[in-house]
Amino acid sequence: MLDLDIKYLKFKTYLNTYCPYCHQSFNVETKDKKQLVLKAVFKGQETDLILSPYLDVFEVESSIPIETNEVLDDILCPECHKSLISKEICCGECGSPVGHVIISALSRLIPFFICLKKGCEWHGLTKSDERKIKLKIPRQEMPEQDKTLRIHNHQEVPYGYTSELASLEAGRCLQCKAPKCVEGCPVDIDIPAFIKLMRENDFDGAAKKIKERNVLPAVCGRVCPQESQCEAKCILGIKDMPVAIGRLERFVADFERKMDLVKIPVIKNKTNKRIAVVGSGPGGLTVAADMALLGYSVTVFEALHELGGVLTYGIPEFRLPKSIVQFEINYLKELGVRFELNHVIGNILTVDELREHFDAVYIGVGAGLPVFMGVEGESLGNVFSSNEYLTRMNLMKAYRFPEYDTPMPKGNKVVIVGGGNVAMDCARTAIRTGSTEVTIVYRRSRHELPARLEEVHHAEEEGIKFKLLTSPVRYIGTDYNSLKAVECIKMELVEPDSSGRRRPVPIKDSNFIIECDSAIIAIGTGPNPIIFSTSPDLKRNKWGYIDANEKTMETSIPKVYAGGDIVTGSATVILAMGAGRAAANTMHKQLSKK
Amino acid sequence: MFQIVRKQEMAKGTIVRFDISAPKIAAKVKAGQFVILRINETGERIPLTVADKDEFAGIITIIFQVVGKTTALMRSLKEGDIIKDVVGPLGKPANINKMGTVLMVGGGTGVAILHHIAKAFKEAGNFVIGIIGAKDKELMILENEMNAVCDELIITTDDGSYGERGFVTQPLKKYLEERYDIKIVYAIGPIIMMKNVCILTKKFNIPTMVSLNPIMIDGTGMCGGCRVKVGDKTQFCCVDGPDFDGHLVNFDELEKRNNLYLKDEKLSLLFSIR
Amino acid sequence: MKEFGSVNDILEFAICQEQEAVEFYSDLASKMKIEAMRIVFNQFAQEEMGHKAKLLDIKEKGIYEVSSEIISDLKISDYLVKTPAANDMTYQEALVLAMNKEKSSFKLYLNLSERAPNAELKSLFLMLAQEESKHKLRFEIEYDDMVLKEN
Repeated sequence: MLDLDIKYLKFKTYLNTYCPYCHQSFNVETKDKKQLVLKAVFKGQETDLILSPYLDVFEVESSIPIETNEVLDDILCPECHKSLISKEICCGECGSPVGHVIISALSRLIPFFICLKKGCEWHGLTKSDERKIKLKIPRQEMPEQDKTLRIHNHQEVPYGYTSELASLEAGRCLQCKAPKCVEGCPVDIDIPAFIKLMRENDFDGAAKKIKERNVLPAVCGRVCPQESQCEAKCILGIKDMPVAIGRLERFVADFERKMDLVKIPVIKNKTNKRIAVVGSGPGGLTVAADMALLGYSVTVFEALHELGGVLTYGIPEFRLPKSIVQFEINYLKELGVRFELNHVIGNILTVDELREHFDAVYIGVGAGLPVFMGVEGESLGNVFSSNEYLTRMNLMKAYRFPEYDTPMPKGNKVVIVGGGNVAMDCARTAIRTGSTEVTIVYRRSRHELPARLEEVHHAEEEGIKFKLLTSPVRYIGTDYNSLKAVECIKMELVEPDSSGRRRPVPIKDSNFIIECDSAIIAIGTGPNPIIFSTSPDLKRNKWGYIDANEKTMETSIPKVYAGGDIVTGSATVILAMGAGRAAANTMHKQLSKK
Repeated sequence: MFQIVRKQEMAKGTIVRFDISAPKIAAKVKAGQFVILRINETGERIPLTVADKDEFAGIITIIFQVVGKTTALMRSLKEGDIIKDVVGPLGKPANINKMGTVLMVGGGTGVAILHHIAKAFKEAGNFVIGIIGAKDKELMILENEMNAVCDELIITTDDGSYGERGFVTQPLKKYLEERYDIKIVYAIGPIIMMKNVCILTKKFNIPTMVSLNPIMIDGTGMCGGCRVKVGDKTQFCCVDGPDFDGHLVNFDELEKRNNLYLKDEKLSLLFSIR
Repeated sequence: MKEFGSVNDILEFAICQEQEAVEFYSDLASKMKIEAMRIVFNQFAQEEMGHKAKLLDIKEKGIYEVSSEIISDLKISDYLVKTPAANDMTYQEALVLAMNKEKSSFKLYLNLSERAPNAELKSLFLMLAQEESKHKLRFEIEYDDMVLKEN
């Protein structure tokens, strides 16, 4: 770029556009956009040329029609009528002469060139300049259901982006050469590439781009903790808000689904090798899809009567509609993956039997065993594990009782113990099923809440109370063994060792009672013992999880791989998918070797 | 697809027997294990212990008492109808080996489960004594089947309309007093019956196993709804049971937990009638 | 309760206590069903062995220090229902067991310190109590980190 003498312009105005000769601002400020008004000469006629900064291009309006690829004769300053053409500079793309103005952004003055050929209007800014200007498009919020309305239904809370909002948000991406966001993604989605396609309005292409790496984009766009993964690494996030990658992912996946654009890829090089996948949760589905696309014949075994694992029994309808889960699973069915419902592996078939019949076995059964705190009164009626509560509500659709036969655990005053996403899900389900007072009890402070910020925010909006720095010490029952109240104790945070992590310690004699008629314990889960009962050789670590190689996902038994919560303990959907991807890679490597 | 190949109504239609075609389960199921059924899309999951199996024909037998909406709906099914989901086998099998003399006590529908275990004990070469009870003669089930696997069989009815009058605990007490070679007692039936049997056998210090049937959803250890206090430990009936040491089980708590949804069950029945 | 006359008596007693703990954990280790849990209890035993060595060292050299450092008590085990030792224990249960064991030792030494006949013995008991509470804290921190992750 040319070094231009810009010393005579003021440094204060922000995103203003000036004539380099008379210093007049070209901006026409309307409420929501700043426009740049110039005089253009086209085919000998003088006309107003209005350029509106819109994403990274200027939308051009003029009083006389100018066709694309037609060259303007001249561009003039509307105030002093001097020609803005810089003879010495040409458009980098088409070689036409350019008009030269100065814009001011972030207290810096940046020379800006307007190509005379309509169609390539946006030239002249360096990457770093461009970056600064983009900052000004704010991160787009998703429209969502009103809080007073949504607590009476089970429909999804955010409606998702419209295509306008999605384009606007996609425009914020800087398209970094060495994108950090991809590093943050456990399944290595080519994030800049799909956003680039979105900017070209090719939403379908963007969806296909994501699907190359992720078979469940509509799910991940909704439930991934992007703020601690891809979005945490986004460069924009350093000074401003990161690009809403998750919302974009959700948008394109929904777009593809709603527009019926899903195409089933043709699978070449089919092999006769067979893969067994135990568990149809996100990890299992990823292995199934990856291996099916590589031409293997895949069978997925699911213990419950519905597919999806935690996506189906755990995450509530208002956060992840089950129809979407089923839709994404149907895609796998069309890839040729076979699903066997009602198969509890370990009982109906053992891992050893699977090894006989299949060339490789992937265990992705998750961490399904509920953990209780072990305080007094936990076996009272109306004290539920979060698993029981959510399984009844989501899998068995108890919230539609008595239309569905499974009774709904209902309480007027509900106490939820724990501060993770599961606790938020329980609380928000409770408020939707008519509980009048829902209280979350958490041992640490707000800062340590492990739930996603978005979930906490939604929960608070919906009127859920938070009792922080509080821990239950006893559940008090009535004579009929149902819950009456929870005795809690106040906690304070101390730093007991040099690790720097503050830990809660009970404050003496600070006990108090919360009256309630239902309690849900959502403090985590452990490994389910069923699969191990018939596979004693499967090596486990001290927590009871499978001891698997972190990179290759191999277990102590040859041909058997494991990943997801059953290896790491309860974590996220996307980490399970990452593990599934890693296992699929090793399986393929080893099976194609032979 | 799980087809009902045979249906038989017993005890004035309050107890129904289904033979269901489920070859994979039949090949694996052992005495004491159970399955979970869901009859249709809106149905609940209910656990039922397998009462018999025929692994060659690929058939499992379940026997259930009509108590609520789901079981009432099940009774209305006909031979040839399809049950949407059958999951199993679940739970740990009963610990069967040659011990000598074993005493099997069953009450009501519990006899159905007891029969499968008694059969397994007999096949293992034990001397099997059976005591089965019911409210009255017409509610007595599986008498012939029990007769076939028991070396001695005592029958009691509460009203004395058949066999001895009274509860199963009376002949049990007699046996415990007279015979010193009883190695184990298996008691399966209503909670109150199992509780009383255990109180009795504890006095004589005879190991006693009971089969529990608490509220359950998934049956795979996921929900924790079936938790029951056994000794000082909380156990999950679906993965640690369903058979437990009767002397350690906290029956009172179990009974209260089982009554949790009584009201809802009535509502559910009403809804289905409407 | 036993009466203690000298510093040596006390140390002897404390060393015995640690030795008992070593045996207790080794015994549990041998009974475990899962290999990983065997390793866990062997590790616990090893840790107790370390404590014992420390005491033996004190006994030999006759030097010990009572630091004024306050060891915090997270009181995690205080509200938990006690479960018995069993061969199918989970790591969570093992941690609770260990916490309770260290806590009872701590209480023992604290009691003894109150009844100590002179200041020298009192300070020794306090030192031992402090050691035990340090051991407990180590288990509590692990429990807090892993079991109570979402709570």
